[in-house]
Amino acid sequence: MGLLYDSITIFKREMLIFKSNLRTNIIRSMMFPLIIIIFLGNLGSSVNNIPVAVANYANSQVSNQFMNSLESGSTLNIKAVTNEQEGLAMLRAGSISSLIVILPSFPKSTDGQPSVYVYYATSQFSESGVAIPFIENTAAKYSTGQVSSVSIQSDVNAVSTQGTNSSYRDFLIAGVILFSVAFGAVFGGGMSIIVDRQLGNIKSFLITPINKNAIVLGKLFSGTLQSMIYGILALGLGLVLGGSVAMGVAGLIWIIPLILFVGAAFSGIAIMLGSRIKTIEVYTIVAQSITMPAWFLSGAFFPSSSFPPILQPFNIGDPLTYATNGIRSVMLNGYFPVGQIILDFSVVIIFAILGIIISFALFKSTID
Amino acid sequence: MSQSDQYSIEIFSLQKKFGDFEAVKDISFKIKKGEIFGILGPNGAGKTTTLNMILGLLHPTSGKIIIEGYDNSKENSKIKQLIGFMTQETVVDSYLTARDNLRIFARLYHIPENRIEEKVNHALDEANLISFADVAAGTFSGGMQRRLNLVKSMIQEPKILILDEPTTGLDIQSRVGMWEEIKRLRSKGITIILTTQYLEEADQLCDRIAIIDHGKVMAIGTASELKKTVAKGNLLSIKVNQDEREKTAKILKSKLKMEYEEKDDLFVLTNNIDMDMMIKVAEELRRNKIDVQTIGMHLPTMDDVFMKLTGSSIRDSTGDQKAGKNMAKMGLIGRR
Repeated sequence: MGLLYDSITIFKREMLIFKSNLRTNIIRSMMFPLIIIIFLGNLGSSVNNIPVAVANYANSQVSNQFMNSLESGSTLNIKAVTNEQEGLAMLRAGSISSLIVILPSFPKSTDGQPSVYVYYATSQFSESGVAIPFIENTAAKYSTGQVSSVSIQSDVNAVSTQGTNSSYRDFLIAGVILFSVAFGAVFGGGMSIIVDRQLGNIKSFLITPINKNAIVLGKLFSGTLQSMIYGILALGLGLVLGGSVAMGVAGLIWIIPLILFVGAAFSGIAIMLGSRIKTIEVYTIVAQSITMPAWFLSGAFFPSSSFPPILQPFNIGDPLTYATNGIRSVMLNGYFPVGQIILDFSVVIIFAILGIIISFALFKSTID
Repeated sequence: MSQSDQYSIEIFSLQKKFGDFEAVKDISFKIKKGEIFGILGPNGAGKTTTLNMILGLLHPTSGKIIIEGYDNSKENSKIKQLIGFMTQETVVDSYLTARDNLRIFARLYHIPENRIEEKVNHALDEANLISFADVAAGTFSGGMQRRLNLVKSMIQEPKILILDEPTTGLDIQSRVGMWEEIKRLRSKGITIILTTQYLEEADQLCDRIAIIDHGKVMAIGTASELKKTVAKGNLLSIKVNQDEREKTAKILKSKLKMEYEEKDDLFVLTNNIDMDMMIKVAEELRRNKIDVQTIGMHLPTMDDVFMKLTGSSIRDSTGDQKAGKNMAKMGLIGRR
């Protein structure tokens, strides 16, 4: 009878407890994502008169018609600029939220290259989220019916995101998924260690012939699985509330491992804290003061590029940043560059390993 | 019968330090197979620490514990199969059914998978909980939870059962039920160690009793042996008006030439007490117009033994302030 058998027994026990409170657990985990996505996810959906500059290099009849169509309605407020540089300067200065460049070849695409470029600042995500789909749809009417003729490029300087999905809702859902995972681990499975100690369950496990590491491992397994369930529920909720995953179903291949590692890391942190802190009240304070900043600093609500310089190092040092970026690549961009996969996964895996090691090391010392 | 066959637990000069605090200074005793052995002592005396060392939750600073012939520093996991333990708190998972509670512990005790259901059903039957098997344990009454906890503690069929205050907080009916259960287990040959704060319970239930205080064994023996150490015959207890205590003390000492001990608000006389002596003392007190509230002759009780040895009443938890503070140092294993 090895460590694994004992761990599975503890894991089963934890999951039975989870199951016995299933409805409460699920409702509790859905409340926050529901509120955030409904209230904040619709930011920008009724934005009008978005300032957009157009550099019209084609200057043909059809390109002028295209500009007129953009101006019709109250969605965009079009300013004509003479060249791309002037527009980019305005974009950087923040006086416009997007720049449309119509190439001379418009409306035909040459060699598969798009004939319309849109530059946008991701810091203006709420406006871009409305403007870009509008531009795309309008361009599709002129550019020989091909939506692909519109390519959206980021502002070279301040903005790094390239997107095909650029609504704030999708931007936010990535952050909300990670909130559910991190908080689910810290306040769900992980916190049980304090209750178990207060009720005497830990002692009653320790007098059985099991290896005490089995308690940690069993709780790590269950904490991780529970937080993954919360993360997947948050994603599902996001989709139901109008979000979308640019990569499609294949995106789950990337999202699920990312939330697995984040869940494992936070479960480890929770077990570490739980074996050091004796009351739930103190635990709540400490756990929140770790989880909340980690979550905010990851750019869950705002793109990290909009953080003040003093917060930038914290953003770079926050492991959640990489998980958020990974999920965002999948949900917003629809592709996940190899370099970024390696970086994001390395950071998140190291974070998980540290969380697990620390939970074993510190749990041990409280029993001896 | 060789010596190691006769004893279930043998403890030799056990010592445990937490930092500079010596929770257990020097404890030695032997528990015979199949007896009910009571451990009494005020809070902070070292009872729980001693039990935790027997259970293998704490490592002794020095000394040796031999359980059923196995050295507990070397064969810990073997010993854990031999000992069942029930805490003073009722430890059942209240969200889980009685059956799941038992299944989990059957697995933790490494009972083979194909025998688990049989064991669990047997335990449910023993606890008289068959019809509640699939009901969440949290909905059970206190007595039912305690019964479930007891069979859960014994799912591995231990040879020794340690009960830490098994009847604390139970109503009289459940308490009597628990006593019957403990006696039934002894009749099956199980060695039982129990701590209790009810001295009359120890008196009635235990074959032998050890009184522990300040980390040492103060006395050990059967209840009647222990009572004889207080007085050969009767005791005389007198309670007077608070203002007249000094005056009473003077009368007892100088006029009657009696030796006495003051315990809480009582004067307790132990020498040659009989009916005549009681009348003589009463007469003298009346002559001096002492306001006597209680005067009575009785055989020594476990309370008297406990008072004599520890200088405090068992329910007087502030008996040892320093020990109480030091208990916090013992951390999670210490009694909360």
